[in-house]
Amino acid sequence: MSDDSPQLLPGTLYLLILRILAAGPLHGYAIGRRIKQCSADVLDVEEGSLYPALNRMLLKGWLRAEWGISETNRKARFYRLTNEGQKRLAAEASEFNKLIAAIQLVMKTA
Amino acid sequence: MQFLRELWLRLRWLAGRSRFHSELADEMQFHIERRAEELEEGGVSHVEAIARASREFGSRLKVAEDTSGAWQFRWLEEIFSDLCYAGRAFRRNPGFALTAIFCLALGIGANTTIFSITSSFLFSQPSCRDSASMIAIWEGGNSGSSVSDYRFLRDAHIFNGLAGIDVEREVNWRDGDRTSRFYAGMVTDDFFTTLECPFLLGRGIAPGETTTAVLSDRVWRGKFGEDPAILGRKLILDGRVYSIAGVLPANHRSVAGFSISPDIYIPVADDDDDVQFYARMPKGMTIPIARARLRSVFEQLDRIHPKDGWKRTNQLRVMGVTGFDVLNQEMPGQVTAFFAMLMIVVGLVLLIACTNVAGLLLARASSRSQEIAIRLSLGASRRRIVRHLLAESFLLSLLGLVAGLAIDLTCAKELNDLTLPVPLPIHLVVSPDWRLLWYSLCTVLVSALVCGLLPAVKAAGRDVNLALKRGERRIARRWNLRSVLVVGQLAVSIVLLATGFLFVHNLLRAASMNPGFDIRHTIWAYMRLVPDEYKDPDETKQMLVVRSALEQLRALPGVESAAITRRVPLNDNCVTGTRLRTDLFSTPVPVQYECNNVGPDYFRTIGIPIQRGREFNAADRKGSQPVAIVNEAFAHAVFGNTDPVGHTITTDFTDDKTKLIVGVAKDSKYFTLSEKQRLAVYEPYFAYGEPINLHFLIHTAGSPAAYVKPITDLLGRLDSTAAIETKPMSRALGVALLPSQVGAAMLGAMGILGLTLAAIGLYGVLLYSVSRRTREIGLRVALGATPSDVLRLIARHSLVLVGSGMIIGLALAFFAMQPLALFLVPGLSTLDSTAFLGVVGVLGAVALLATLPPAIRALRVDPMVALRYE
Repeated sequence: MSDDSPQLLPGTLYLLILRILAAGPLHGYAIGRRIKQCSADVLDVEEGSLYPALNRMLLKGWLRAEWGISETNRKARFYRLTNEGQKRLAAEASEFNKLIAAIQLVMKTA
Repeated sequence: MQFLRELWLRLRWLAGRSRFHSELADEMQFHIERRAEELEEGGVSHVEAIARASREFGSRLKVAEDTSGAWQFRWLEEIFSDLCYAGRAFRRNPGFALTAIFCLALGIGANTTIFSITSSFLFSQPSCRDSASMIAIWEGGNSGSSVSDYRFLRDAHIFNGLAGIDVEREVNWRDGDRTSRFYAGMVTDDFFTTLECPFLLGRGIAPGETTTAVLSDRVWRGKFGEDPAILGRKLILDGRVYSIAGVLPANHRSVAGFSISPDIYIPVADDDDDVQFYARMPKGMTIPIARARLRSVFEQLDRIHPKDGWKRTNQLRVMGVTGFDVLNQEMPGQVTAFFAMLMIVVGLVLLIACTNVAGLLLARASSRSQEIAIRLSLGASRRRIVRHLLAESFLLSLLGLVAGLAIDLTCAKELNDLTLPVPLPIHLVVSPDWRLLWYSLCTVLVSALVCGLLPAVKAAGRDVNLALKRGERRIARRWNLRSVLVVGQLAVSIVLLATGFLFVHNLLRAASMNPGFDIRHTIWAYMRLVPDEYKDPDETKQMLVVRSALEQLRALPGVESAAITRRVPLNDNCVTGTRLRTDLFSTPVPVQYECNNVGPDYFRTIGIPIQRGREFNAADRKGSQPVAIVNEAFAHAVFGNTDPVGHTITTDFTDDKTKLIVGVAKDSKYFTLSEKQRLAVYEPYFAYGEPINLHFLIHTAGSPAAYVKPITDLLGRLDSTAAIETKPMSRALGVALLPSQVGAAMLGAMGILGLTLAAIGLYGVLLYSVSRRTREIGLRVALGATPSDVLRLIARHSLVLVGSGMIIGLALAFFAMQPLALFLVPGLSTLDSTAFLGVVGVLGAVALLATLPPAIRALRVDPMVALRYE
C-alpha cells in the first residue's frame, strides 16, 4: 500500500467494484488486484474497506456471493453482479461521468 | 420492498451468523495466501511472504468486525440474544417453563379455537373470486324470490352476473335399488360462472345446462369413495338423470354463509322455485349505487308483474356477503350474542392463564433478584432488564401459542367431521387462515404483556442495595402481589365456573322438560317422494300412497296407531302472525301462533290429550266444513274462560275461510324444549294440498327401536323411488336440545378450564409461600409448634386467599351473569342457587386439593435443616 495512492471519492468504491464485476465473477482478492491493474497501480483498495463494501453490496442485493474454485485451484468466494447490480452500475456510471465532466469543466474554466 | 428484502437478508444473516464468521475467516485467509503466493513469485521466501501479506492485510479482527457491521441490526440482534438467553434460562428451569407453557397453551388454545369457530360460523369468507364485490339482494324484505323475477333482473344487466340459489332443498338419489336423500342447492345456470369458486375436480354447472350436477367434497368422499373418475358419471336424482360436472374442495364455503353446505348442487328446474339472489357488482359500483339501480328495476317489475299487497321495492335490502355485513342477514340475535359471550369467556380464561404465568414470573423474579441486582450494578440499564424479562414472557407466550394451536387444530379436525343433528346441511369448515394468524399474534402479544410487564417492572425497579444484601432473608409478607393475583384469578374462575354450572343446569332442566307428548313410544318415519312421479293435479296418486301407508302401518303387529302430519314438533315449525276475528268479538285480536296440519289420530298417536271436543277424523278433508283444533294457551289467550269449542275463528288472510273450533288440545312444546308456552292452531291434514314430504308418526306398544326396520321396509315397498328415514322420536330431539347442549358443553368446558388454571395458581402461591417460610416454620416447630399448628398456618393462608377470591367472585358473578338470562330455559334464573352452591363446593374441594401438597411439605420441614440456613 503506497502512501501516495489518492483517496477514493466517497461512493466510488461501489462503482469500481460494480464495473470490475461487470466483466464476470471474481473473488475478493482478484477484485482488489483488478482495480489496481486497471488504474495503472494508482488506486489501491484497502482490505479493511473492500470486504465491508462487498458485504454492504450483498445486503443491498447488487451482488451475490458463492463459493467456487479459484485459478490456483483453491476454494474461494466469488462475487457476481445481480440484475439489480447491473442497473445500479448503469445509473452510477452515468451520474459519475456527469460529475467528473462538471468538475473538469470547473477546473479548466475557473 | 427494499426494506423488506434487507430485513429478510439480515434475518438470514442473523440465523447463519456462525457460518458467516467462519466463511469470512476462510475468505481472509485465502486473500492473504494469494498475496503471499504472488510475493513468492517475485522471489520472496515463503515465510517472509506470509508475514508480509498478513502485515499488509492489517487487523483481521477489525476487518471481520467492520464486515459483520454491514449486516448488523442492533435491536433485532438484541431481541434475538434476549430470546436465546430466555431459552437457556428455561432449559435450566424446565419445571417452571413447562408449567407456564401449559397454562398459556390452555388459554391460547381455548381462545384460538373459539375464535376459529366464531369466525368460521359468522364471518367466513365465501369461496368465490373477490368476495368483496359480491352482494346479497333481498327483494321486498324476503330472502328468496321467484325464478321469473331472477330472469328479469338478470336481463336488466346491472351487474357482472347474477346468481340464484336455494340452499334448503332436498332430492332423492336412486343408487341401484336403494334411495337416499341429499340436501341440494338448487342454483341458476350461471351461479358458478358468477361466483367463480375453485373446484377440486372438473367445473361448475355451465350456462344453459339443465342436467349437470356438482358434488360437495363430503359426498364425494362419503358416498363415492373419492372416485377420481367421477366426472361424467350419471346420477338419478328425483327421477331425472344428471351427469357430474365437478367436485367442490373440502374447504368450500357457500355464499349463503353460516356454514350451510348442501350435499349437491343442481340447476333449478321450475319457474315457481324461489332462489336467493347474489350479484357481482361491476368495478366502481358501491352498495348504495346498486341499491338505487335495483330500486328502479324492481319498480319496473312491480308495474309489469304486480303482486297484490306486496311491493318488491318495500324493504329492499342489499348487503355484502363477508365480514360484519353477514350479521345483517338472517342470523338471530341470540346466536350472535352467544358467540360474543363465548369470546368474552375465553378472554377471561386467557386472563386467568396469564395471571398464572405472571405469578410464576413474579416468584422467579424475586428468587432471581440477586442476579438482576448484579446486572444492574454492572451497568445494565433498567430498560434493558425490563426488555430481557419481557423477552422471557414473549418466548413463553410464543411456545404457548404453538402448543395452543396444536390444540386448536385437533379440535378443528373434530369439528369439521361433526354433523349437527339439525334438519339443515350445516357443516363447519374450520381451517387456519390469515385472520387466525393475526388473532394468535395479538393474543401472544397481549398475553406476553399481561403476564410479563408487571413482574418485569417490579423486578427492575427493586432497590439494588437491598437485593444485594441477600434481600431474600426478609420475612415474606402475606399480602404480596402474587396473592392479589391469585385472589383475582379465583374470583374470575368463580364467574366462569358459575356460568358453566348455570348452563349445565340449564341443559339438565331442558332435557328433563316434558315436551307434552310421548317420546318413548313414538316413531317418526320421513318419506320424501320424487315430485315428478306425483305430478297429477288432483293428487290421487299421492293420496293413494298416504292412505295405503297409513292402513298398512296400522296393520303392523305392535303398532297401536299411526298418523300423518305436516310438521314434526321439535324439528320443524311454522309461526303465523295475524289479526284474528272470532264470532264472539268483532274487534280483531293480534295473535302469533304455531300452526300445523295433522291427520286423523294424530293426537292419540303422539300422546297429546284432547281436553275438550274431538280430534280430526276422516271426514275432515278438502271441501268439508273448515275446522281447527287449538291448544289450551290459544283458548285462554283468545277466548278467556269461554269454551272455544263450537266457536269460529277467522284470520285476515284474503283467501282464508272461517274455521270452526272442534277441539282443545293440551299444551305442548313446538320448536324447542326451552321455549315459553306458545299458542297453537291445528288444521286437518287432508283439507289442503299434498306435499311430497310425508311425515308419519307411529305409536308402538313396546320399545320403538324394533319397529324401525319393518316400517322402513313397508314404506319402501309402496314407492321404491322415495327416500325413507325412520327413527324413534327420542333420537329426533336434536334441534330441541342443541342450544342447551352447545351452551353446556362450551361453557362447562371453559369453567373447568378456568378452575384448573386457578387451582394451579393457588397451588403455586401456597407452595412458594411454604418454601419462603421454611425458616419461620422451622423456628416455630423448634419452639414447640405441633403439626396441627403448622397445618393451621398453611390452611389459614389458603383460606384467606380462597375466601376473599370467593366473595369477590360471587359478587362479580352476581352482576356479570344477569345478561345470560337470554339463553336460559323459562323458570331458570341467573341467580341459580344450585349453580352458586355447586361453585362454592367445587372450588372448596379444588382449593383443598391445591393446599394439600404445600401443607404436606410444610409438615416435613425439619427444624434442624431449616435453621441451619441461618
